[in-house]
Amino acid sequence: MVESAAPAATPALLPAWARGVTPVVIALGALAFAQWSSGGSPFFVYIASVVGVNCILAVSLNIVNGMTGQFSIGHAGFMAVGAYTAGKISLAFADTAVAGVPVVASDQLFLLISLLAGGTGAALFGFLVGLPSLRLRGDYLAIVTLGFGEIIRVIVQNTPALGAALGLSGIPQTSTLFMVWFWVFVTVLVARRIAHSSHGRSLWAIREDEVAAEAMGVDTTAYKVRSFVISSFFAGVAGGLFAHFIPIINPNSFGFVKSMEVVVMVVAGGLGSTTGAIVAAVALTLLPEGLRTAFNAFSSDPALAQKADQIRMPIYGLLLVVLMLARPQGLFGTREVWDVLPRWLPRRRKGVA
Amino acid sequence: MSAAANGEPLLQAKDASIEFGGLKALQRFNLEIRQGDLQGLIGPNGAGKTTAFNVLTGVYEPTSGDVFVCGQRVNGKKPHRINRLGLARTFQNIRLFRALTALDNVRVACLSESRPVFSAERLAALRREGGAWAWMANGLDAWNNYYDWWRALLLAPGFLREEEELTRRAEQLLEVMGLSHRRDEEARNLPYGEQRRLEIARALGTRPRVLLLDEPAAGMNTREKADLMVLIRRLREQFSLGILVIEHDMKLVMGICEQITVLDHGETIAVGTPEKVRADRKVIEAYLGDSYLETHPEAAQEAAR
Repeated sequence: MVESAAPAATPALLPAWARGVTPVVIALGALAFAQWSSGGSPFFVYIASVVGVNCILAVSLNIVNGMTGQFSIGHAGFMAVGAYTAGKISLAFADTAVAGVPVVASDQLFLLISLLAGGTGAALFGFLVGLPSLRLRGDYLAIVTLGFGEIIRVIVQNTPALGAALGLSGIPQTSTLFMVWFWVFVTVLVARRIAHSSHGRSLWAIREDEVAAEAMGVDTTAYKVRSFVISSFFAGVAGGLFAHFIPIINPNSFGFVKSMEVVVMVVAGGLGSTTGAIVAAVALTLLPEGLRTAFNAFSSDPALAQKADQIRMPIYGLLLVVLMLARPQGLFGTREVWDVLPRWLPRRRKGVA
Repeated sequence: MSAAANGEPLLQAKDASIEFGGLKALQRFNLEIRQGDLQGLIGPNGAGKTTAFNVLTGVYEPTSGDVFVCGQRVNGKKPHRINRLGLARTFQNIRLFRALTALDNVRVACLSESRPVFSAERLAALRREGGAWAWMANGLDAWNNYYDWWRALLLAPGFLREEEELTRRAEQLLEVMGLSHRRDEEARNLPYGEQRRLEIARALGTRPRVLLLDEPAAGMNTREKADLMVLIRRLREQFSLGILVIEHDMKLVMGICEQITVLDHGETIAVGTPEKVRADRKVIEAYLGDSYLETHPEAAQEAAR
């Protein structure tokens, strides 16, 4: 067939060995430039960081809920594990710096280390939770993950060393736009590369038909656990980032509401669509802020603005209801943006992934 | 008579039985399939044919008796392990990965073509040693997998090459099954007959030595059935397979199978060549009821011969 050239066989711009790292190098450059040029208002940095963290959460949860078809609703629990692990480590090293390098670089290095530790901690929890529960099918996982999220929250709430209900404060606020969006980039890259490998196809297969996948030689339990571990790792990293730009983290930031928020992003974007998860994460993070601004513009009366602030959550909910009625498969279904957008974008080959 | 004595049996059931809370779904089921065999498994609805398939492929563990695949006892092994030993199947109610393209359906099955750090043979050898060695084999296998994920995430050159090879092999299989033109079509959008063939292509992707086909002709028209008969025979030669077919269409079964096993209520009531089975009194009774023989003396006469 004419069009039978595999995507990997498109004219290679780069030697094979460079294809893996080139996007990372480009992204690092772009992010450094963005960091340098933005400087920006603290509010902008804050919002951009929240958006970034939500992107990481949504894209990573999409690996489990979208690609593998398992329904996890305890993502905030893993986020909490990451946040408190990374936060504690940063607190312990708050007064330490690497000699001979600029303070900024030293800060970022310690941040990176604590993020990796947070992610690893969360991944470990993901493994422990996933191993027994992912053998089950269907709704059981939802119940287990829900329980896990609550357990973590309650444990933190009752552990003085973690600040109990008051929360953990004094974590060095070393997070930067660069670091947040670097991790967004890494999460997306990992999600996309999984989707384009035999591992990703195995995950899709599990989502489509577990019995058939098993019969075709896919170790379904192992694959589910792996996707769960990877997803938890990035949730942990997101939590770690969160802890480094929010002055006080407390257990209520990682409650059931947060978990559902992420699930809503994934479902709204389309289960299985990485770009959908990103679009939904950005939109649903900015929407409350946008509504606030819109209402404020409507009237300068502070009382009215406050009322408006109360009404924006119902509106947010209403928009979701409308979206689900109009497009139950989410914005993009299982496809990516470029499969859905009109033809002026160069069209990729049809199909999932 | 095609090669019946082709060495060791690739698939063997020895008195395999399974009970579901008192219901004896399969009783003392025996079967031997060697390379080049083309056998049939028939019986009225609810006779336990698909249950037999599920026992053979590891979906159910037999409550007693044994199943061997390529000489290895597979009782209690998970279906994916059994599949990797060389046993692939299709499903009665088509179970394709519906939202995946035809190509991806086959590529899923082709998955473990990678060249791991520790070869499958070495791991198998370690597992045979048993004890701590088997544990070590599991650890090394985990390392293999870890390594494989990193290669995918870092787009290692070897990984890209493998993906290309894998795609090529999947394309070849699609071509063998006459589905090249559907390569990028989602499986759920294919016509029924093509879905059946895609399922066979997918099963072949796992490089099986024995292929189990569960009602491959269901829902096909006469012409498609005729094509299917040719196809099944061709697959046997081309891929050096042993094939076991469950089928309701007697013309098809009698036409291609060299040996037929007949099940009724989980019991094996007849085994033999098509001619022998067709004339078997018990088989006729099972299919048509005992009164049939009384009202149709000519059938009774044939059965008596």
